[in-house]
Amino acid sequence: MKNRLKVLRAEHDLTQADLAAKLDVSRQTIIAVEKGKFDPSLSLAFKVSRLFEQPIEEIFQDDA
Amino acid sequence: MGAKLDAVLAKGLPERDKKNANRVNLWALGWMFSLMGNAILTKVYDQGISALWFAILAAHIVCGVMLVLSYRRFLSELDEMERKVQLEALALAVGFSILVFSTGGILDSVGILGAPDGAVMVAVMSLTYMAGLIVGRIRLA
Repeated sequence: MKNRLKVLRAEHDLTQADLAAKLDVSRQTIIAVEKGKFDPSLSLAFKVSRLFEQPIEEIFQDDA
Repeated sequence: MGAKLDAVLAKGLPERDKKNANRVNLWALGWMFSLMGNAILTKVYDQGISALWFAILAAHIVCGVMLVLSYRRFLSELDEMERKVQLEALALAVGFSILVFSTGGILDSVGILGAPDGAVMVAVMSLTYMAGLIVGRIRLA
């Protein structure tokens, strides 16, 4: 799954640690999601969507 | 290299997860010490069933049950990626241990090797669990 997490984080001037704290996950999780190595759960995707005030499908896109 | 090492050491976990992990580690220590206490009592001091032995047995059961419960809580509240790593490491540890025991049983039946005992099982499970954690964390880093 592709995502725009890194771009959105940069636009909001957040570090990986800041974003991890806001989403209540580890920094390693943010790193893995940004690299596309780990697909977040639906609840985490909703948290990201609420935080950046964008629909989920504009942040996460299926590879297929 | 630094990022991989941070991943292996699971740096940056939320405070809640660190507290839960510390609780698991404390019960694991208690469980291990009670196991060692029993071995010292029965093998070094050659004591059989006594009040002290019962106390160690009770401590072992209490620590073991609390270890299981605290680990379950740790997993249920854990950061979702670390939970995936932990569950995959557990699956590897259980599967590999079963394989070691079943193979040991087959070799024992024809007298090539003695069947592995409980200490071997704990060691195999612990080592494969740790290996699974390291490999899983590096893979996702």
